[in-house]
Amino acid sequence: MKPAAFEYHAPTSAEETVALLAELGDEGKTIAGGQSLVPMLALRLATFGHLVDLRRVHELRGIEQRDGTVRIGATTTQATLQRSEDIRDLVPLLARATPLIGHFQIRSRGTVGGSLAHADAAAEYPAVALTLDAELEALSVRGRRTIPAARFLTGTWTTALAEDELLTAVTFPVWRRPRGFAIEEFARRSGDFALAGAAVAVGLDAGGRVDRCAIGLFGLGPSACRAHTAEAGTMGREPAEDMADDIGRQALADLDSIPSDLHGSAGYRKRVGAAMVARAWRRAVREAVHG
Amino acid sequence: MAPYTGTRTPRVEDPRLLTGTGTYVDDVVRPGMLHACFVRSPVARARIAAIDVSEALRLDGVHAVFVAQDLNSGVHEQWYTLNGPEDPDTPRPPLAADEVRFVGDPVAMVVAVDRYRAEDAAELVVVDYDELPPVVDYATALESTESVHATHPGNLVGELAGRPMEELAPVFEDAPHVVGVTIRQQAYCPVPLETRGIVAEWSAPAGEMTVWAATQSPHEVRSFCARLLGVDEHRVRVVMRDTGGGFGQKVLPQREDMCVLLAAAKLPAALKWIEDRQEHLMAAGQARHEHGEARLALDDEGRILAATLDHVQDAGAYPTPSPVQSGLAVGLLFPGPYRIPQGTFRSRFVFSNTSGRVAYRGPWQFESMAREVLLDTAARRIGMDPVELRRRNMLRREDLPTANFNGMPYDHITPYETFEQALEMLDCPAFRREQEQARAQGRYLGLGTCTYVEPTAGATPFHGTEGATIRIEPSGKVNVYVAGGSCGNSLETTVVQLTADALGAAIEDVSTIQGDTALTPYGAGTGGSRSGPMTAGAIAETAAGLRDRILAIAGHRLEVAVEKLELTGSRASVTGDPEKSLTLAEIADIAYFQPHAMPPGVPAGLEASGRYRSPHLMIWANATHLCTCEVDIVTGGVKLLRYIVSEDCGPMINPSVVEGQIYGGTVQGIGGALYEHLAYDEDGNPLATTFMDYLLPTATEVPVIELGHIETPSPGPGGHKGVGEGGAIGSAPAIVNAVADALAPLGVEIGRLPLTPASIVELVEQAGVMTP
Repeated sequence: MKPAAFEYHAPTSAEETVALLAELGDEGKTIAGGQSLVPMLALRLATFGHLVDLRRVHELRGIEQRDGTVRIGATTTQATLQRSEDIRDLVPLLARATPLIGHFQIRSRGTVGGSLAHADAAAEYPAVALTLDAELEALSVRGRRTIPAARFLTGTWTTALAEDELLTAVTFPVWRRPRGFAIEEFARRSGDFALAGAAVAVGLDAGGRVDRCAIGLFGLGPSACRAHTAEAGTMGREPAEDMADDIGRQALADLDSIPSDLHGSAGYRKRVGAAMVARAWRRAVREAVHG
Repeated sequence: MAPYTGTRTPRVEDPRLLTGTGTYVDDVVRPGMLHACFVRSPVARARIAAIDVSEALRLDGVHAVFVAQDLNSGVHEQWYTLNGPEDPDTPRPPLAADEVRFVGDPVAMVVAVDRYRAEDAAELVVVDYDELPPVVDYATALESTESVHATHPGNLVGELAGRPMEELAPVFEDAPHVVGVTIRQQAYCPVPLETRGIVAEWSAPAGEMTVWAATQSPHEVRSFCARLLGVDEHRVRVVMRDTGGGFGQKVLPQREDMCVLLAAAKLPAALKWIEDRQEHLMAAGQARHEHGEARLALDDEGRILAATLDHVQDAGAYPTPSPVQSGLAVGLLFPGPYRIPQGTFRSRFVFSNTSGRVAYRGPWQFESMAREVLLDTAARRIGMDPVELRRRNMLRREDLPTANFNGMPYDHITPYETFEQALEMLDCPAFRREQEQARAQGRYLGLGTCTYVEPTAGATPFHGTEGATIRIEPSGKVNVYVAGGSCGNSLETTVVQLTADALGAAIEDVSTIQGDTALTPYGAGTGGSRSGPMTAGAIAETAAGLRDRILAIAGHRLEVAVEKLELTGSRASVTGDPEKSLTLAEIADIAYFQPHAMPPGVPAGLEASGRYRSPHLMIWANATHLCTCEVDIVTGGVKLLRYIVSEDCGPMINPSVVEGQIYGGTVQGIGGALYEHLAYDEDGNPLATTFMDYLLPTATEVPVIELGHIETPSPGPGGHKGVGEGGAIGSAPAIVNAVADALAPLGVEIGRLPLTPASIVELVEQAGVMTP
């Protein structure tokens, strides 16, 4: 369980980093917290000739508010998000998702950008980004571009990032009140990747009817996804907790590539996924209605 | 007076272990040391057509690549002292020669300057496999036309049985109630925190082998190595300081250890092999994989008339050792602590193309799983509370001594007392009320118990004696030497406590040396819950003579009769006149440097060796595990609510150590009931080769474990009983019963383990009470 030999690079700026990535091509891989990459290297599931370490690229770190959004630098650690009062107030769903990631040792090293770029199907952050319609910023020697979360996640461990692109930040919109958020997942043990999980965000109009609804699912397909039909079905309705089971069933109805493994069949995950959507819906609605 | 035995003496190991300064085998560094990495089979069964090592050998830093032809012929003799040379053993070649027999089977061993380079080279070894149909499922292996080993057509390793099942037929035919269940337990394994590892260094001029090993039994490693290489035993030295968990898995050297020992004799420098976790989960061995059909005949009042067990156990491809001898205990112990007038068992041990069976803490645990699940099922089927059924049948003090229907002679045990104590700690009636209220709200709570008796410190030929040497140095400081083999089980603390009390020494004056075969008396190491009683015997035997000598010297110098002396706090003083006294240092000075001042007939020096020979075939210990849980029938998640253990290990040497042993064993059973599964797919590919998939319970899954203690002295030294294994025996059955109790209103019965959330949901769905 020792990685194959690689060359180690430690650039100090984003500019220097993307120049390196352009030069190294598919032989190069960025490493941030290393919480997924290092085990994969050690197991030789992945081999790269060059690792580009982002820890000295200080400009990639930090949380800032900008025009009704919150912008988070890619190498900001999960532990930093967990401690941030701004995140708790402005992007509560992200704050609530964070303690579900691994264990505190993992969150101390793991980064926001690393989790998004790794794009594990059962990870929380990609689902939260998708649910909240976050935007991801990518930099390369060719320039800077913004990618909506819905286009960023393309499949199992794959994203829209090109080989020479560096994920620099993710921007979350701040939802106006009244709104409610909840994330629910079921894992074999505390800290494990979820067998099934759901994030729900609900916004209400002045009359107390749903005018915004997003349901993100994770662990239930090749990547996180949205339950658009179920979302649409709630629009304009008075949110009731007893709609939860129906929404749960509907949210899972169209999924056709639910994984199956030692820990549970696709059928099992589907059932648990529906329950997680229902539980998250109840909590989100309770928050939206009662604050 | 015994100021230390029975107290929570802080562990003497802790300062080094808790500051990360222990010495494990991977901490051993030798000049020019080389590193080994195994090339392992990626398929469950295949003929090896060809192996090409040329490219691997060309890699810089690679010293050698060994295949079966290079090493296997070097084996002189290959058997374990534990089982003796006459035991009909199973095949155990160092490297796979003609055929690979499980995924992970070692095919070649690369030796290089470091482990990184060795792994690079291992990827360059090209092996041609002609795949053969594997025998993956042991449960159907007896009917398979394929054989794991050609020497064993039909895949049967061996079979053991009590009286013929047919003899019981009339009892079952006439009984008012007959209940039968089949329990299928999954494979899981010891998973010590420290994986396997060994360093071997051959000195050709001296003809000496030095071995550093992660082991529970350095002397077994030495004897094994001497026989394997055909080297005289006194030319082999095995050293272990700290071993990071063993749980039975490190009792015996395995095939990889053989390869390292054989190769080291051909190399110019020491050779180190440290197993990684993936190798460990593939090839270090499996346990607990067995099933049984258990049957009970009861009368109208729920009294047991007879019980039988038809048991089949997975041996894997290369069990260590042959499973037959140790597997006998499952059948012998199946009756447990119950009045069961008659019964019998049959056990069959079966090869499969999977990782080989190894010993695991309470290797016979299935006797409790089968019996306790059977009792709960029987109670429910005849409409009785499982607690009540046990009360009617459990052995009580007035029944003792007794023998179970296989002739196991029980005495000095308290199953009924531990059962009642555990129920009282829970407040069982209050729990039943809470359970009923919860059910009315659609919540499912359950209560499960397991009561067992276990043999500890069994006086087998290898385990039946234990030695100690005690040396009081000229400074009055005391060193006690025992074979050791501590894997975190506090054997150093235990020995220091016992010695301080036996000699009347202050505990800070006592130290211990263990684990080095060149220094310590021969001994079997840790295993079989033997270290408490056996080292207590060895120290008592050795210290008694030394104590007499100390008192004789002091009495002579102080001019008082030895009866007037007391020995405490490293000082011999005259009773009632404490001013008149000598310290151990002063006594040692006389013993070593003032031969003229010695009393006549007393030998000089203060060193003694002794060997305790246990007159007891075994020392029985017992416990009840009880737990409550809540099952979420939507997700299948199980939350353990309370966990209670009431046990009787006799007088405790150190309550903290006893508790640690029970906690650790219990957690392993929690893993076995709910999380751990060394699963294979139908082609024989292992599905849990990292900790992402092999799920150990962590601090967040384990509830507070509450302990109750009943103290019944054994007839052995100090009245102590072994306590190392029990936690791992009683826990999984108690949890299975708790989950079954929670789901009982749904009509669910449990027959297959582990109880994963998905499997629980499946059971609930099958019961037809759920809408998906």
